[in-house]
This record gives sequence, structure tokens and C-alpha cells, in this order.
Amino acid sequence: MLRRTFLMLTTSLAMACAAGQANAACSPDYSGVTLTVASQTGPYIASALKLGADEWTKKTCGKVNVVEFPWSELYPKIVTSLTASDATFDLVSFAPAWLPDFVPYLSEMPKAMQSGKDWDDVEPAYRERLMVWEGKIYSQSMDGDVHTYTYRMDLFSDPKEKDAFKAKYGYDLAPPKTWKQYLDIAEFFQRPDKGLWGTAEAFRRGGQQFWFFFSHAAAYTNNPNYPGAMFFDPETMDAQINNPGWVKGLEEYIRASKLGPPNALNFSFGEVNAAVAGGQVAESIGWGDTGVIAADPKQSKISGKVGSAVLPGSDEIWNAKTKKWDKFPAVLPAPFMAFGGWQIGVPKVGKNQQAAWDFVKTLTSPEVSGQAAITGGTGVNPYRKSHTANLELWSKIFSPQEAKEYLGAQADSINGKNVALDMRLPGYFSYTEVVEIELGKALAGQTTPQAALDTVAKEWNRLTDEFGRAKQLAAYRAAMGLPPKN
Amino acid sequence: MMRNDPIKHVFIWPAVLVVLAISIFPLIYSFTTSFLSYRLIPPIPPRVVWFGNYATLLQEPRFWNAIVTTTLIAFIAVGLQYVIGFGVALALNARIPGERLFRVALLLPMLLAPVAVALVARMIFNPTMGPLNQFLSMFGLANLPFLTNGHWALACIIAVEIWQWTPFIILMMLAGLQTLPEDVYEAAELENASAWQQFWGITFPMMLPISAAVVFIRLIESYKIMDTVFVMTGGGPGVDTETLTLFAYQEGFKKFNLGYTSALSFLFLIAITIIGVTYLALLRPHLEKRR
Repeated sequence: MLRRTFLMLTTSLAMACAAGQANAACSPDYSGVTLTVASQTGPYIASALKLGADEWTKKTCGKVNVVEFPWSELYPKIVTSLTASDATFDLVSFAPAWLPDFVPYLSEMPKAMQSGKDWDDVEPAYRERLMVWEGKIYSQSMDGDVHTYTYRMDLFSDPKEKDAFKAKYGYDLAPPKTWKQYLDIAEFFQRPDKGLWGTAEAFRRGGQQFWFFFSHAAAYTNNPNYPGAMFFDPETMDAQINNPGWVKGLEEYIRASKLGPPNALNFSFGEVNAAVAGGQVAESIGWGDTGVIAADPKQSKISGKVGSAVLPGSDEIWNAKTKKWDKFPAVLPAPFMAFGGWQIGVPKVGKNQQAAWDFVKTLTSPEVSGQAAITGGTGVNPYRKSHTANLELWSKIFSPQEAKEYLGAQADSINGKNVALDMRLPGYFSYTEVVEIELGKALAGQTTPQAALDTVAKEWNRLTDEFGRAKQLAAYRAAMGLPPKN
Repeated sequence: MMRNDPIKHVFIWPAVLVVLAISIFPLIYSFTTSFLSYRLIPPIPPRVVWFGNYATLLQEPRFWNAIVTTTLIAFIAVGLQYVIGFGVALALNARIPGERLFRVALLLPMLLAPVAVALVARMIFNPTMGPLNQFLSMFGLANLPFLTNGHWALACIIAVEIWQWTPFIILMMLAGLQTLPEDVYEAAELENASAWQQFWGITFPMMLPISAAVVFIRLIESYKIMDTVFVMTGGGPGVDTETLTLFAYQEGFKKFNLGYTSALSFLFLIAITIIGVTYLALLRPHLEKRR
């Protein structure tokens, strides 16, 4: 009897010690806490969240449940949950453009997270602009998104191709400085009989199409002489989308659609990546995923030959104030922060807010996010200084030349003097829906670029009036980093 | 005596309340909302606009385009489903060898989820990787713009609808054919009536009531098409394949324009009611002749 009691006591003590040790390993201890995160369907972003979740679980003993929705369903699901004050999600991952719609329902980032080494490591374009709304931080970037240019180094360095190109166009074959050069290159490599086409971009409605069009137009409309006037006049909130700069951008976007693989009109960004990695196209524009996927020998036929550069620009930019073209002494690139990179925020109604912000800290830490950035398919592109500075990290997937060009293009774009910010406005989907519809008609040749953009401008002005011009103007100025208008 | 028994209220009122709660109240709420300018995103306080939403919709070319597109899909798809379905049902009813196998195989498409069918169709019609264009290129034909040209995209959606829902017509028509009396056909054969005369003089008229019901059900269902279009084309290119339900979805769940969407739903209800009533009115003389 005594022996049995002693045995039980010893066992209980041992179990208590083990439990104590386990809890000691949880720092901070969130055992028993399960966080639910809304995400788009994986692998993009959802797999990055799972990567962060594994690390957070190891550290805190808490659990993370990533709930995935198709891209087109994510916004409605989050809005429905937020507006109903429903605590379904402890965290929501979302597009920066949706932030104005979500702000009333999100909690502010704890002040402690808004300083320190990790905070300063986030690129200023995100930390000071995209993560900020009316002077407050409601979300954290978990991905950096800027459109860059990708090309096949093997084709561009081939002496025969170089000579033939120079003979035809009168200048050297190299990553393009202007959109005209971009189209020349696409035209030069358009060889359907050899299974090679000029370029690949997204043209499909609902397939991230309008960001590619915005990238073309940014070169002609993001004027440093009148900042923040790319989409709307920041003084009047009049739509600018039908000005000559935008029309020129659309004409070139349509021209690019004819220099791609058959039925490129059905391409979303996924098909663009497949075309690039499959060696079907000579060049392309898009997010950083393209370079990472194309460099991966498991997914790509052109691994080791992937070159990158900043998007082409222009030396003539439309001035929305003077309504004239401004001439610049040299070509001015206007890298477009298309989409702007996924954000993660914590709803006010969440029951585990402290744990949720702690998860954000782990997910976006330089170590975890750095690993996600070099893992193909996570959808995470560089957004920290440490992401682009650490060449050793990138040597796991890129050759030295590829890494140098890729990281150079990313860093130069994000830190570009004339970087163009994406539109962020309340009622974002109402504004972009009409763009998608009219782009579809213009790409199909059912309407002219000018007529399509006139329709968009008319609808944008109507929406602005319906939502309240003064309110929208204040929001637009905030999104463009301009001071409030008196 | 029983009529005045108060116990009847115990049985009736719960049912009345359930019907009110789950059917009538949402309908009234939705009808009321249709007279408001009411947006969740960006949040704008509700404002009474009376028939403003209806007037805007009736002047909206996109609404009329959606009506035309939905009507085209519904009428062409259901028409072809009926013709093919009736034909296949007649063949199966003729006790051909392997009839049971055919019956099961032909019913399979109906059992699949429309989203899955649309995803498979999207891959088949894929411009570069799809087997259909690869097959056509074997004969030296150019890649066809299946989902990127408005007319082709509409034809693809109709083809998928026919493939998926013809089995429903087969099932119903076969059930109807199996109830037809044999003696009428025996009498017709004694009179040396040809197969075509037997079909046109006996089978078709006797199958008219069930045909009317089946077509009516399919027509109403086809007007509600959403998932197939959403997955295959997203309503594009432009709005060439946008149906009424997809238009309502975009307004309701993308733009959260609740007043406008409610008005759209009621206009949809009115359109369906008009089509249904007209259809039944046109068929009534023929159906009454059968009684």
C-alpha cells in the first residue's frame, strides 16, 4: 500500500515537473489559445501564414487555424464578419486597398510594436505609407508588392539576337527603359512557330488584370510635379483616369495583349508565372513571385536565366493640374506598388487580441518572413531591408547574377524617387469593378481606349459624389500621403 | 363542434409563425430595403429613395444586358436539353442493349456539383493547355478564343449547361414514357401507323403535361444560373456573359450596395413571374385539350 502511494506521488511529481518545463518553454504562454486567421486560398499567403503559425506554436504553445477563402470571396467574408461585429476571425489578412473599409473595425497596433529594430527594418514605403491610415497603424505588412520587370537572360545575352535586334530597332537589346522599348522587345521575340512569344501580362477580368494596366499608366500619370494626382485630382477629387496619360497607358497595354501567347486575354497572374517559368515568353511584368518561381528548377525551364529590372518609365508625364505633358530631362521610372502587399490586422471584436498581435510579431519577424520570402509559392515578396540585403539567404534559390538583379530591382523599386502608390479608397471594389468591365471591352476591341476610360471616369465621379466627395477626397489624400486639405 | 375548439390554435400558430419568420419577414425586409439607398461599404446611413433604385436599374444598360444574356442561356440551353433529353429518353425506353449502363452513365453529370463541372470545363476550354484546342490544332485549326470572346464564351456556358442538366430531362421523360399505356401503341400498329406518326400522334401529346412541367422547372432553374458563369468567365469578357444573379452578387457582395441589390432581386422576381405566367398561358389550351 505504502509502496503504491509512494509510486503515485513520484509519478504526480514527475508529471508536474514535466508540465512546468513545458510551460516554461512557452514564452509568452498562450497554451489553450487558438487563433483563427482569414486568408485567401493557398498556397499564396496561406502557406506563409502556416509557416508563421508553426513558429508561433513552437514559441508560445498557442495554435493557429488558417481559414482559406478564394480570392474573390475573401473581401465579402471579412466584411460580413466585421460589419456584423462577429468574432469569427482573430486576425484578417487583406489587401491594403481594403484598409479604408476595414479601419472602423480594426484595433490599433500596440505602441510597443511600433518601435525597435524589427520595426525600423520594415521598408519606409510600407511602414510610413501603406500601413498608415490617418496617422494610425491598424495593420502590419506581411508581404511586399511592387511590380517589376522579368526577362530571359539567355535570350538577351545571345550575340545573334543582340545583333538582329540592333539591326532592326537601332539600339541595344537590354532591359527596357521605356514602354516603347518594352513593346519593341516583345515584338522582336514574337515567334509563335518556335513556341516563343513576346510578353505575358494578366488580362483576365478578376485575374489581377487592372494592376498590370495601372503599371503601364503609372509611367505617364504619376507626375512628381503634382504628387498624388495619378488616380484623382487631389484638390478636387475629379477622376483622372481618362486623361491622355492613362489613354496612352491603355493603348500600350492592349498592344502588349497582342504580343503574348494565344488567348493571353484569359491570363491571370498564375498563367503569367506559368508562361514565364515555361520559357514561353521573353519578358514579362508582375510581382516578385515571378522571379522566385522562374528560378526554381522544380517549377521552371529557365532556372538560372532569370533577369530582373525596374519597370520601364517615361520622360513625358501628364500633369493633371496644367493639363499638359511635362517633359523630363531623362526617363523617369515610376515603379508601381501594385496591390501593395498583403496586410494583417486584428479585429476589435477579437477575443484574443494580445495573442493575435504577438502572432503578427512572429509572422513578420525578419527571420520568419525572410524564410517565407525565399520560399516559392508563399506569395511573400521582400518588404524588409533585411530581405533585400541578405544575399546569402537568396543564394539558396538564385545564381549570384540572378540574386543581384532580383534584389536590386526590388530595392530600387520600393525606394524609387517616383514610386507610384496604389489606389486606396472606401468603396474600392465599386471603383475597380467598372475598370475591369471597360478593360475587358477595350481588350476585346468592342470600344476604343478613350471611350472605355471616359466611361470609367464618369462612373468614378458618380461614385465619389454618392459616397461623399469631401470624405473621399480626405481619404484619397491620406492614401497618397498628402496632408489634409484645409 | 371541433371547429370552435381552441386547441386548433396550438397546432396552427407555430406553423404560421415559422412561415412568417423564415419566409415572409425576409421578403418584406428585402422589399423595404429596395426603397432605400443603403450601402454597408463605405458605410452610408440608409436614406429613402422610393422607386429610385428601380428607376436607376431600368435605365442601366448592364441590367438589360444581364436580362438578355440570362434569357439567351435559359432558352437555348433548356430548348436543346429538352430535344436531346427527350430523344435519349425515347432511346432508353426502347429497351436497347446495355440500357441500364447507359441510364446510369447518362445521369452522372447531374450528380456533380456545378462548380466542379465549371472548373473542369474551364480547363477543357483553356487556351493553351486545354485539350480541346490541342485537339483542334491537330487538324491545323487555329486556337479558338473559347472564353475570351463574348459569343464563344456564351456558347461554352450553354454547352456546359446542356451537358450537366440534360440528364434531369432524361430522367423525368423516361419516367413519363414508362407510364404510357401499351394498348394505344398496339392499336396504332394495327392501323399501320409509322414510328413518326406514333410519336407525333400519341407519344408527344401524351407526354405534353410532363414536358410542360419539366421545361418549366428547368427554365426557372436556368434563370438562376450563377456558379457556372462565375467560375468559367466571371461574367467577362467585359459583361458579355454576366447573368442576373451574377450581377446581383457583384452589387450585393462586392459593393455591398444593399438597396440597389434588393431592387434588382425584385425586378428579377417580376421578370421570372412574367415569363412563368406567359409560358403557362401559352401552354394552357394544349394542356386543357388533353384533359
